[in-house]
Amino acid sequence: MTALQRRHVRGEDGFTLVELLIAMIVLTVGILALVAAYTSGYVALNRATRVSSAQVIADSQMERFRALSYTNIWLNTTCGTNCAEDATYKGDSVYSSAAAVTGCTTTDSSCLPTQTKTGPDGRSYRLDTYVEYSCLSGTLSTSPTLTCGTTAPAPVKLVTVVVRSTGGSGTGSAGTITVREQSAFTSLTGQ
Amino acid sequence: MGLIARARLSRRLPARARDERGFTLPELLVTMTILLIVIGSLASVLVQSTTSEIDANNRFTAQVQDRTALDKIRRELHCASSLTDTSGNALTAGTSYSAITTQLSSVCPSTLGTTEYVTWCTSASTLKTGDYALYRVTATASRPTCSSSGKVKWDDYLQTSTPFCLPSSSVACSGVLKPTASLPMLHISLPVDLNGPTSTVDKYNLIDDVALRNGTRS
Repeated sequence: MTALQRRHVRGEDGFTLVELLIAMIVLTVGILALVAAYTSGYVALNRATRVSSAQVIADSQMERFRALSYTNIWLNTTCGTNCAEDATYKGDSVYSSAAAVTGCTTTDSSCLPTQTKTGPDGRSYRLDTYVEYSCLSGTLSTSPTLTCGTTAPAPVKLVTVVVRSTGGSGTGSAGTITVREQSAFTSLTGQ
Repeated sequence: MGLIARARLSRRLPARARDERGFTLPELLVTMTILLIVIGSLASVLVQSTTSEIDANNRFTAQVQDRTALDKIRRELHCASSLTDTSGNALTAGTSYSAITTQLSSVCPSTLGTTEYVTWCTSASTLKTGDYALYRVTATASRPTCSSSGKVKWDDYLQTSTPFCLPSSSVACSGVLKPTASLPMLHISLPVDLNGPTSTVDKYNLIDDVALRNGTRS
């Protein structure tokens, strides 16, 4: 073998381990980026499914209040375990025990503060309903009579429907708010 | 490079070219087999993703159709005052119906300025055996049915032929009662499923209670 031939053979000794490792790391980073794109797509799709399902539940609950007359918009807080107001319920910003509208004596779904509902997607959702007296202007005073002050219009009933996660797989931690819907009803409602 | 070296190189070149006889047949076969395995697995991934993309797309379309149909019914019932079956008889509380009819006033947004009867009804799906499709049909003279001409399909792949039920305060529809002193409410259940009633993963069960806002509270 001549000197040139030997040099030629020595030149064809492929990649070194280091080169190979670097190439593999670069490839892995590229593939991981693609996988991350898939994962974030899945997460976004999952979230969209949950929000639209929760929206259906919230709309359905609000529809029941729209069907009622003003005097019948209230909650039943005295019917035992069905009406238990837990820390999650009381921790919501709209909750106020002083302004809560209670007095409903049935266990109709519009009267229960906390319920568990199955959404269109088959998952379970927690449905919290708040009915509170509220003032569009002025400050709410409950005694001696319910008023928003001498010059302000009479109080309205503010219905807030909150759909929360029950903490099932892929739905976030229990109590996370998925959808919140609010509507005010004046004393003219259902007259 | 000196003259002598150049002369040596030119003499050697033909010899080197003769050495490069290319790949042997076994080498080529091994390479092609490996290539085939790689391409084969890539192709199956591609086919699978295309299939699931079509599946997801169909499901999405079915669900959007479902929601659109419910939205349309909701908007119409918000303008309705009462509901009957297609013969004009009052609905029995707690009974599931395949068709409901309402008379909408000319001021209702979904009518074209004339008082008309609107019927929502189900009949067998033309896309999938065993499934049902939801139609809307209108008429001005008498209550139309699903066999009347001019019906428009709003929803398909329904798993029930009787999606409508009117609850009262004592007789429930799927566990749902009408609240006392409330407007009449129609319980609508529109479960769609592209893969038939036995599958559970694809089920999309849209349920709603819609108030007839021009009705009377009782």
